[in-house]
Order: sequence, then structure tokens, then C-alpha cells
Amino acid sequence: MKTVIAVARNTFRESVREKILVVAILFGAILMSSSVFLSPLAVGAKQKIVMDVGLAAISLIGVLTAVFLGSTLVHKEIDRKAIYLVITRPVSRAAYLFGKLAGITAAIALVFAVMTAVMIGIIALGEDALRPAVFASVYLSFLETTVISSIVMLFSTFTTPMLTSFFAICCFAAGSLSGDLKVFAAKFGGAGMELATSAFYYLLPNLEVFNLRHEAVHDLPFQTADLLRATGYAAVYCGVITFFACLIFRRREFR
Amino acid sequence: MHALKVDGIRKSFRGDMSLARREVLHGVSLHASEGEVLGFLGLNGAGKTTTIKVILGLIRADSGAVTIFDRPVGDRRAMARVGYLPEMPYFYPHLSLMEFLELCGAMSGMARERIRARIEKVVETVDLTAHIGRRLKSYSKGMLQRAGLAQAILHEPELLILDEPFSGLDPIGRKMVRDVLVDLKRRGTTIFFSSHVLPDMETLCDRVSIIRDGVIAKSVGLDDLLRLGEGTVEVTVRGWRPGMMGEIRAHVESAQEAGGEAFLVVREQRFVRPVIEHLYRSGAEVLAVANRRCSLEDIFMQEIARRESGAREKTKEEELVCTGF
Repeated sequence: MKTVIAVARNTFRESVREKILVVAILFGAILMSSSVFLSPLAVGAKQKIVMDVGLAAISLIGVLTAVFLGSTLVHKEIDRKAIYLVITRPVSRAAYLFGKLAGITAAIALVFAVMTAVMIGIIALGEDALRPAVFASVYLSFLETTVISSIVMLFSTFTTPMLTSFFAICCFAAGSLSGDLKVFAAKFGGAGMELATSAFYYLLPNLEVFNLRHEAVHDLPFQTADLLRATGYAAVYCGVITFFACLIFRRREFR
Repeated sequence: MHALKVDGIRKSFRGDMSLARREVLHGVSLHASEGEVLGFLGLNGAGKTTTIKVILGLIRADSGAVTIFDRPVGDRRAMARVGYLPEMPYFYPHLSLMEFLELCGAMSGMARERIRARIEKVVETVDLTAHIGRRLKSYSKGMLQRAGLAQAILHEPELLILDEPFSGLDPIGRKMVRDVLVDLKRRGTTIFFSSHVLPDMETLCDRVSIIRDGVIAKSVGLDDLLRLGEGTVEVTVRGWRPGMMGEIRAHVESAQEAGGEAFLVVREQRFVRPVIEHLYRSGAEVLAVANRRCSLEDIFMQEIARRESGAREKTKEEELVCTGF
């Protein structure tokens, strides 16, 4: 555990000292601030616009940060041979991967915290009330980003940052649409198509379970059980993916 | 108990663009007893770094076995007793030396108080106390090498594995590293290191293993090294001419000329007197007479020469086969 914490702390420190994290936060803040200027276009729906853009920005910046950090940090360490200093110590490869994932997740949590604070500031400036669904939505977006981080970690154990980013973004896009794809295949595809989409549905993350933006924006009620279910789903999915990442990483050689 | 035992390891790699595998280690065997300093010598590409990587579990051997304190490679209890300095080390540039050593200590499973105490000590040892707060990205190559040594000895390992520890160091840095290694040797740390700096290796090592084309060509102890040259005497002469060799040819093993002087190696002590008398009679001036000691460089050069003559023989054989003889 001590070694996991040490690796996680170093990863967090490295992420925070990367300029890209500051750029991501600035970009997200600018994106959210733009909602203030867009809101006059939708008369009477100013708060909805601010929340919609704000939550979407948090989710998007979170995912992009996860993809960028996850794909570069592990690869860079292997490529520049800094990993020699870790692997030659009493640190198991699984502990190293768990530490990396924990560090990246902590850095993403920081991004979420700053961006949520910016969004709360914008909402407060408009003298609007904050709804619990907004925080629930941010929390679910964070879980979604953690799932993406674990997928990034899996790919980064055996491929290049470019391919890792590509595969991870594909998984994000497909995971966001997996429910729709299944319905589409059931309605219009043949048996083969239905089997294929079912396989994808169960293999890819169902990111729809992390989407509470509609309820947050339109002030609709949400179930605490849904939050718990999404938390459990994220934990199991991350666990399975990290398990496979560890299996691959255990076989990896560092030439 | 052996601190390190490498038993017949073989390793092959697949080329980047081909499926064919090329074997780079052909059954390397060596061992270092506890408290011994073992040097690892070889030309570039002979397989030194590959062997070290197999020992540390960074790559897997195709066959053969490696044990560290009688435990297999990768065993966490064994790895906790190992310190490693890679060749051309790359450390986290975003960290200061203090942060970096704290990280290394934590990863080695050290308690926080012990990390603090040891950092103070090792930073002083490698003479980086004044730079402890600076980020590693601002360090020179020599400073990074010293920082690398600091992380390798931080947890007081019982087995220290160093890949080219003198690389990138100025004379003062080299002396510092040498002094650190001498001190560790005195305290009983087992040291296994590769280097091209033969005099340093000769000073530090109890034994040297020479690797050539992926096999251990020779393993020689320092005592053996002294014995190898025993009995021969080197005579330095001014005014030497090749024609002077005549009657002393049977007593002289070799004669080399350089800068107007000649260095004659006399086979045995008892031949020194007739050789010197002959030289004086012939009009040469004897500048020095000294007992000759075989150096590590001599042994290494012999091994290289053997390799080259072996390669020439092989080429000749191939040519003969090609021409039908």
C-alpha cells in the first residue's frame, strides 16, 4: 500500500506540474464563461444554458485530461527508462499501475474541483440557486472519467500514446452510444448484427449510466440508488480493466 | 551464500522489422559472494547491460536462472536488498532531489524518519547538499549521475548493481564515486558493476568477469591478476636498436619502442643481469628496472585479440569453404 501511495503521489505531482493541466482548466473556464454570453439568446433559460454548458465542459475537459495524462505518463516513463527505478525496487507491477491510476484520478479530481468551483461562481453571479442534481451530475461525470482513465491505462501498457488516445476516444464515443446501438441493432439489424452489438454493449462501458446532466439542467428528481448503482458499476468496470492491464504489464519487458 | 548467482542465462531479441530472433546472451554464468566486489567488463554490445537487465527482472531470460540472496528475480524481499544505478539514468525532472529521494525511499519501503536521516547522509556523501532543493531538470549530467548514486545507496542495500557508474563524471566526480564504493566495500556491501574505466575497476574489484559476444570469456580474481605477471621484469632502455636483441633474444619476452625509449619484458629475474650487461655493452642506457605486474588492461586486450584472431580464423575457414578447399 505504501508503494502504491508513493507512486500515486509522484504521478499526481507530475500531472499538476504539467502545463497541460493548467491549459485544460483555463480552456474549461473559458468554455463555461462563454455560457454567460450565450444565455441572453435563450430568454428565461439563462440558468439552464449555464448549467448545460458548464456540466458538458466539465465532462469533456475531464475526459480529455484523462486521455492525455494517461496516455503520456506511463509511456513517457517507459520510454525514458525512469520506470527502471521503480521496477527494480520492491514495487510490484500491479502496485505501479494502481499507483499511476490513483495519481491520475487525483489530478482529474483536482480539475473537477476547480471547474466545479468556477461553475458555482458563474451560477452564483446570476443569483440562481444551486441544485443537488448539479453536484450529483458532476460526481457521475467524475466516475465516467475514472472509467476512461482505466481504459487509457489498459491501452498504455502495450501501445503508443497516439494509439492509446485514439482507442480511448473511440471507447468513449462508443460507450456513450452503446445503449442506442443496441436498440438500433435490435430494430433494424439481423441476428449477426444483434449479437455483435450485444457483445460490444457488454464489453464497452455503458457511459449512459453516468449521465445525469438532463436531470440537473431541467431540475428533475434523481434516485440516490442510481448514484450507488453507477458507483458500483464504475468500481467493478475499473477493477476488471485494471486487472487485465496488470496481466499485460506483468509480461512486459523493458529493453 | 551468494549475493548474486547467474546460471546459464540465454536471451534473444526479435528485430524491429523481422520475426527472426537474435541471441545476445549465450549462457552467461557468474556469481558474486557476499561482500565481494565483482567487475563486469566487455566491449560495447557484448551483453553487459542485457545481463544486468535480466538480473534485475527488467527483461526475462529465455532460459537459465538468476537468484539474488537465494531468491528468484523479482522477489520483493530480494529486491528490497538491491540498489541499482542504470546507465545514463533518467530521473523525474519535475522533482527536486529531496522529493526524488523521498519517493525512492518510500518505494523501497523505508520509514519516513529513516528516509529523512538517510537523505541527509547520502546527499552529503555525493556532495549535493547545496542543490537538494533544485529540480532535477536543472542538473548537469555529472550531478544526475551523483543523484543516481544517492538513490541507489539510500536504503543501504546489501547488493549494489551499477551500470557504468563513472560515465559522465569529471575527475573529481569519479574520485568521489570511487571513494563511496571503497567505503561500501569496507562495510561489506556486495557490489557488481560494469565499467570501461579499467584502472578504477582494478582498484575496486576483488574479481572481474569479462563478457565477450554474450558469454563469459574469463573470470579473474585480483590475486590471480597479480600472479599472472609474477616473475617478469620490465626494463626501460634509451638508445635501443632492434639489432641489440641478438644474444638476449631467449631472455626477452617482448620489446616495444615508444618515444625514443624501449620497454623490454625479461622472462625471469635471473636473466635481468645478463640482459642489462648486454645492453650497456651495446651502448644503450638502462633507465629503469621494475617488477612487472599484469594489468587488467593486458588481460582485456588479450581477450579482445583472441576474439579478433578467432574471427579471422573463422573468416579464413569460410573463405576456404567458399573457394572449394
